[in-house]
Amino acid sequence: MLTRGNNNNMAQVSPSSGSIIVADWHRCKDSKEYFSKILHKKRRKNFGLLESPVMPPHVAVDTVHYKIFLSGKSGVGKTALAARLAGLNIPNMHYETTGIETTVVYWPVKLRENGRVLFFRLQLWDCGENALRRFDHLLPACKEQVDAVLFLFSFTDRTSFDDLSNQIAKWTGAPVGRVVKLVVGTKFDLFMHCDVAERDVRNFQETWSVPVLRVGGEVSDGLGDVASLLNCLAEHLWHQDCVSARRHSQQETGTVL
Amino acid sequence: MMMLQHGSTQLLCLTASSGVPLFTRGASKQLPFSVIGSLNGVHMFGAGHGVVLSSCETEGGGKVVWRVFQDSMMLIVVSGGGQDGAGDSKEDEVRLQRLLENVWSCMVLVLGQDELTNVRNVERLKRDLRSCFSLIDQLLEDRQEGILGNLTHCADSLLPPNPTLLQEALDGFTQAADSEFGCLIVHGRIAAATEKWWRLAPPEVVLLSALIRSLSASGSASCDYPVFLPQGSPTVAHRLLRFQLLPGADVCVLCGPTPSLHSAESGMVGRFWTPLVETLRDCLAVGEHSLPRSVSLRPDVLALLLINRETRRSVSCVRTSTNRPLGDPPLPSKARCWEILKLFYIFSTTRYFNQEETLCVSPEERAQRANTDDFVLGFSHQPLQCYLVTEECKSYGLQTPQHQLFLLAPLSVPTFALRTVATQTLSDIVGATGF
Ligand SMILES: Nc1nc2c(ncn2[C@@H]2O[C@H](COP(=O)(O)OP(=O)(O)OP(=O)(O)O)[C@@H](O)[C@H]2O)c(=O)[nH]1
Ligand SMILES: [Mg+2]
Repeated sequence: MLTRGNNNNMAQVSPSSGSIIVADWHRCKDSKEYFSKILHKKRRKNFGLLESPVMPPHVAVDTVHYKIFLSGKSGVGKTALAARLAGLNIPNMHYETTGIETTVVYWPVKLRENGRVLFFRLQLWDCGENALRRFDHLLPACKEQVDAVLFLFSFTDRTSFDDLSNQIAKWTGAPVGRVVKLVVGTKFDLFMHCDVAERDVRNFQETWSVPVLRVGGEVSDGLGDVASLLNCLAEHLWHQDCVSARRHSQQETGTVL
Repeated sequence: MMMLQHGSTQLLCLTASSGVPLFTRGASKQLPFSVIGSLNGVHMFGAGHGVVLSSCETEGGGKVVWRVFQDSMMLIVVSGGGQDGAGDSKEDEVRLQRLLENVWSCMVLVLGQDELTNVRNVERLKRDLRSCFSLIDQLLEDRQEGILGNLTHCADSLLPPNPTLLQEALDGFTQAADSEFGCLIVHGRIAAATEKWWRLAPPEVVLLSALIRSLSASGSASCDYPVFLPQGSPTVAHRLLRFQLLPGADVCVLCGPTPSLHSAESGMVGRFWTPLVETLRDCLAVGEHSLPRSVSLRPDVLALLLINRETRRSVSCVRTSTNRPLGDPPLPSKARCWEILKLFYIFSTTRYFNQEETLCVSPEERAQRANTDDFVLGFSHQPLQCYLVTEECKSYGLQTPQHQLFLLAPLSVPTFALRTVATQTLSDIVGATGF
């Protein structure tokens, strides 16, 4: 009991940005041959389920799989965020998502500790808020074996920000298990209509010790728009894995003893 | 009165009993509220006198079509007329009638019939109807070149070079997913489907194809969508699972509570489809032509639509690189060929050929929408072939008990040769593919 409690606390401690993986690695020369595998004609490559980035045989790279749920009210920008992170066309109209749609993002990451390179395969689960309300079976499907939740609010919609604590509370506690939690503020580009002050965001971040990331605006072809969010997500996921691996080995030692 | 700009179409939805507006879609400039009120009023007035007002024409070449579904919802479509300057009002009306049917089917697909027919809370219904806008707008725009199913209610199909392998994989995959309904869609067209999928009502097959196309276009990897089937299951939702095997190639199954999207994806997709990656790539290479390379078409075929009347499937293609001898008049563009093909289909089926109404409408509804001209009813026999020569190209229609072929040829082809071109094309395709 004691051991588990300790480890839970460890999981709560967020890794500081860039402490586990190399930040801005996409700008480094040695990353080129990896990032070129997720690009096609200078745009992000769309992978079918039967495909994945292929490295030459002498460069062995492991791929780690994660399931990420996008949470937030209708119109906040879940579908747009999934498209943005995958480099797909972002819808300019709001059409409700009437079921679950998943989007796969491959992202190469370099570990600081040993210089090892990994491909993160992040599968983003996006379900329309109104569909969730209409059909009971959708939320359990999204929660099944989930590794992380991105809580979305929109900078142009105060209520979506005020509702965050409720949302996060639903994902804290026994039945859910450990999941990485990040907050993403969308529509940061619409500063004329901004309804959430920088100060409020800072306060929130301190109270909940959950990182808050910001997205918005046109997507340029580069990787810079999404790199900070994807690296932050990858870092937290990897950290969580390390913590649970450590716990696992401790428990095993316990059994042997 | 010209209500809308030429070429634009607006859709109105109201409750049938009290005429409360539920939504409007299409056309950048909305009709004023007073016009909407009048359009509804004039229909109600007719109903009060035992008259069903189904369509009318405006002096400016516009068209209005009314239709009440399940005694609960009224759909009105207003068209500015003169779509691309082509087609007379008959063609327009058929197109608009089909549009209303398809819009209603979309609404049932997403929301289910109960919600649409037992309206308890209008505000809530209005909010819920927003979830249909994506599909409805897609129908209104009708921009997808080479997709004719919304009009013909025959499934747009693609004939793969290696059908047996794909069929076996699909059957196995569908069974593993506890389902009997599976289909493989390549470039938005059905490349393979299980027997049960083909036994769905033809408009449902077309509707599901449209949904899958729109999901596929977003580039997402997989989906779990609740869907109602307008004819087969209008009140109980099924789950449509969709997996993007390769960009442009999607496999779908209709199933009940199991399997979960996650387990189907991790446990079945790779197992059944990884061995077929190359076969799928060959299938993608068929491209928009929907016919394998083993079918060699005569050089004087510009475009064609071939319908199998029994299976309610169709293949169609427009050829891009027909060499034009110097001095010949220019050929219509690719987009224009698709448009002409649609117009010629409507032209032939309303004036000469049987319109093969699928068995999904009630007899009263069918009578209400009798599109077939009196002209046809006056025939003592069933025409088997017809042709039309315009400034743009020559069109030829051919009907056998099994097939209907609609074909476009350049103006340079002598009219007397069209019949030979058509019959030979039909036997070329059927001979090579068994379609
Ligand atoms: N300017 C701007 N617009 C955005 C941004 N993110 C989303 N939008 C717009 O907001 C609208 C709603 O976005 P969606 O992603 O469709 O909303 P959703 O959260 O998926 O909504 P549901 O599917 O109904 O739950 C769309 O019109 C988007 O174009 C952003 O960062 N900046
Ligand atoms: Mg959405």
